[in-house]
Amino acid sequence: MSQVSTIGPGTTVRGSIRGEGDLEIHGRVEGSVVVTGEVLITESALLKSDVRARRITIRGAVAGDVSADESIVLEAGARVLGDLGAPQIGIRPGGLVRGNVSTGGPLAETKSAPAAAASASRARPAATPAARPAPARAATPAPAARPVAARPAALPAPAARPAPVARTAPAAREPAPSATRGDTTPSAAVVAARAPVEEPELDESEEIDDAEPIDGGPPPPVVPALRKGAKASLRRKGAR
Amino acid sequence: MARGSAVERSRTSETSESSSVLGRGARVRGRVSGDGDLRVEGQIEGDVTLSGELSIDQTGSIRGDVDAASVTITGVLQGDVASRGAVTIRASAKVKGNMGGAEVSLEEGASFAGRIEAEFDLPAELMPRQGR
Amino acid sequence: MAGTIIGQGITIEGELTSDEEVVVAGTIRGKLSADGPVTIEAGAVVEADVSAASLAVGGTVTGNVSAAERVDLLGGARLIGDVKAARLTIADGASFKGNVDMDV
Repeated sequence: MSQVSTIGPGTTVRGSIRGEGDLEIHGRVEGSVVVTGEVLITESALLKSDVRARRITIRGAVAGDVSADESIVLEAGARVLGDLGAPQIGIRPGGLVRGNVSTGGPLAETKSAPAAAASASRARPAATPAARPAPARAATPAPAARPVAARPAALPAPAARPAPVARTAPAAREPAPSATRGDTTPSAAVVAARAPVEEPELDESEEIDDAEPIDGGPPPPVVPALRKGAKASLRRKGAR
Repeated sequence: MARGSAVERSRTSETSESSSVLGRGARVRGRVSGDGDLRVEGQIEGDVTLSGELSIDQTGSIRGDVDAASVTITGVLQGDVASRGAVTIRASAKVKGNMGGAEVSLEEGASFAGRIEAEFDLPAELMPRQGR
Repeated sequence: MAGTIIGQGITIEGELTSDEEVVVAGTIRGKLSADGPVTIEAGAVVEADVSAASLAVGGTVTGNVSAAERVDLLGGARLIGDVKAARLTIADGASFKGNVDMDV
């Protein structure tokens, strides 16, 4: 395989980074990162970017969504403002995240839409793709891909979640190279489009439920049990 | 485990005086609240509010919202967590719910779906009004 | 080891700025500016204006390049664009189409 690619601590990339191989990021990236191998985001890294890869390890700061085909690990020092999606997710003590976290697999492709974004940027620098990604998102049979209930609830309070703003910013602000614009804008559009999409109340589905032992069964043998056994705190409740 | 002693005060000397256990065969439907710690080996369907630590064992499950000083999940939780301290989700856990806690740690292999709300500030460079 | 390495399989579309050494073995489209030395290896494709402290090209560059110190076009290099540098070497086997400005 080719050498490990490295974005050094003194280096800033505005635009998209994609391709095959592994990538170490010590510096700054504003745009998007999509690679086939492993990505290591170190303590000194600052990303305003979505990140997709096979495996991702984070010790630095990321404003953007993080999606892996295999695993994501947030180690001490990691600060992620955005969603995490991968079959395996580890958050070590000292790793912080504010966003939706799902071990259901990688995040839906439409979210960062790297391919569409790249081609769009080449076709027309002044991209106005607002309408395009939105229907795709709406048409997605969403819950299967992103079985996370919290998103709709969290959205009405955008102030509490500055991520979309952060993501939109580069596109809005910079007359930057076309790639930057093309790559960031669609994700903003998707974020905007997400709001009206009512995701259904989480149904009783998936792996959690097959381990869910509670059936509609008989009401509890609980009260007697509590009274008899509980001596300390629980007794008060039993006695009520 | 005997039904009658399903919820009992732990008598082992090293645990705190107000530590309780909901035994493996036990099932609670309704709200559980109290001081001290609780270890859940059985099933609870209802909200749990504790002043102490909550641990959900591998055989344990809670369907309901949980509020405790710290929470350790090895079994199943379907509900939101509010914790003043650490929330620890072990590899065997299956969790669906939103975590509001000072520190949430998640072991690889755990099944998790929900929102984690850690309090932190991103570096100024990543905030919307970035220089350069 | 260089501060920044863009490996063979990697493509950057956009702008790369750096205050350290940059080695490109992959593809860059957009703009590349570094305060350190820049090496564009054989096989690399750079469709960008490049500015650097010094620049060594073994791959293909389409764009204007400038270097504070020197530009070296190595054997096998291919540059289409103007060069602005105090010193320029063009090795045997390099191809170059563009203007040279050595007035510093």
